[in-house]
Amino acid sequence: MEVFEAIRGRRSIRNFEDRPVGKEVLQRLIEAGIWAPSGGNAQTWRFIVVTEKHMLNKIKMLSPGLLGDPPAVIVVCQNRKEAERKGGRLGVELVSVMDTAMSAQNIMLAACALDLGTCPIASFHREGIQRLLRLPEEILPHLLISVGYPKGAPNPPERQTEGICFFEEYRG
Amino acid sequence: MDRKALEENAFELVSYMVVSARNLLDEPPRYGPFRLVDAASRLVENLNKTDLGSERLEKIKTQIEAGKYSVMTSEEEFHEFLDSLVSSLIEDMRWCAKPDGARDDYLL
Repeated sequence: MEVFEAIRGRRSIRNFEDRPVGKEVLQRLIEAGIWAPSGGNAQTWRFIVVTEKHMLNKIKMLSPGLLGDPPAVIVVCQNRKEAERKGGRLGVELVSVMDTAMSAQNIMLAACALDLGTCPIASFHREGIQRLLRLPEEILPHLLISVGYPKGAPNPPERQTEGICFFEEYRG
Repeated sequence: MDRKALEENAFELVSYMVVSARNLLDEPPRYGPFRLVDAASRLVENLNKTDLGSERLEKIKTQIEAGKYSVMTSEEEFHEFLDSLVSSLIEDMRWCAKPDGARDDYLL
């Protein structure tokens, strides 16, 4: 699949088929994630891949933004201690968040190329997820990505194209 | 559905509602009505697994599922969707039990 095809074809999927996603496929998605750029090549991301039904149920209870019943969830985390050591205050407060986002987009585009549906979820209880997944204090969950085979796909919302991009200087 | 499964379903729904309440303190205001109608839909789904489902409950769930994601795309459309839900509920209130004698003809 062409990159642009994946970029334009990706949708946020909230309805999944009752069909598991293989471990090797999930590992390929993580591989896509770790090939994202990171500020200062910090690579302070950590990924927890959850596929067991009882754990997915518990994640769902702590995540109002997780809709539908995906067969897998990738929890994208950052090691705050390492991010601070490598990037200072900027690293932990801003750069690590952007690194998470860039990695997540790689994962979602790779999933699209593999005919999988995904949805990024920021609405979850961070401390609850930390406790559930036994994450040490320095490992902060930033984003959940639900993964599964899509049952239908929503139409793409319109994209705003006017007044958002300027060459050379801002003219808003 | 046995009592244990029923309790687990109820616990899941309660968790969803309580965590939503906490998270909504930090989330966009329009997510509040979204979580409420989504919780209503989940409640009906749970009731459908028992013998407490009904046509009017199923109808409102279907309407919620068809329109709830407009919250992501259009504020105006979401507003209209919520208005239409309320109108639909008012229609179905005629089947509510009267004080002088319970009516159960809305049950499946």
